[in-house]
Amino acid sequence: MNINPSDAARALAEIERTRAAMRQAVRSHCGHYHLWIWGAAWIAMPLYAQLAGDDHARQLGLVCLPAAGLSAFVGRAQSRQIRLPFDTRLLGAIAALVCFAGIFPFVLDARPALRPLYAYTCLIVMQAYIVAGLWTDSYLLWIGIIVSALILVGLFLFPAVFWIWMAVFGGGSLVATGFYVRYFWR
Amino acid sequence: MPDLDELIHQPVRLRIMSALTALDSRKQVDFSFLKEKLELTDGNLGAHLRSLEEAGYLTIEKTFVERRPKTFVAASGAGRKAFAAHVAALQAILKSS
Repeated sequence: MNINPSDAARALAEIERTRAAMRQAVRSHCGHYHLWIWGAAWIAMPLYAQLAGDDHARQLGLVCLPAAGLSAFVGRAQSRQIRLPFDTRLLGAIAALVCFAGIFPFVLDARPALRPLYAYTCLIVMQAYIVAGLWTDSYLLWIGIIVSALILVGLFLFPAVFWIWMAVFGGGSLVATGFYVRYFWR
Repeated sequence: MPDLDELIHQPVRLRIMSALTALDSRKQVDFSFLKEKLELTDGNLGAHLRSLEEAGYLTIEKTFVERRPKTFVAASGAGRKAFAAHVAALQAILKSS
């Protein structure tokens, strides 16, 4: 099969145009709404603890659980048209991690204060992101690693501003990743 | 100089392969989504997908989502290789001019 250089140039331009349009379309199906909803909850929870005081922070679950449910539902709905074949082992691995993470404090007979307990819970979530990232989209892996590191830095190096730190670097990182996925993810 | 792939070079199939290879290799795209993005009709897209599937360039998975039939399409490893070779051949033609 022979074609002339101008036909080749036209074909290459068409390929580039189609790939760029596809990438742009795909970005709107990668789950940025999930990250924005979940990130907003991660900003609201520590801000509430900062304003209302640690004693009231035990009510954070009232925000966390509905936000988790809503963001998971939205994320699933958003990824209907572009999907990864579902692997039930991923669900099993995350369930096992969460179950064991829930058991550890009882095994160790640990009664952590509220801030370490909040950091611990956030680290469990980030652990799930890391596992999901290994199986699916790599941005989840990077969120998991970076936010985990930021949680530990806030807990151990900046305890005086822990709640503000968690709002800015925990929730803020999730929201910022949502923008990255929406506008720059390939 | 690498050879052009006649099957891929057809304009609609070229766009289909361009779109599918722009995705992560593990991802599958919904038939309706692809049809809408490439501005094709059901019949036209279906016929070209069948040709590419017969050549082993893509995989088609029919499934049910919330009791509705859905078709998901993805470029196969062989399809990605063939597409990359076709693009290399086009670039070689351009360079040699």
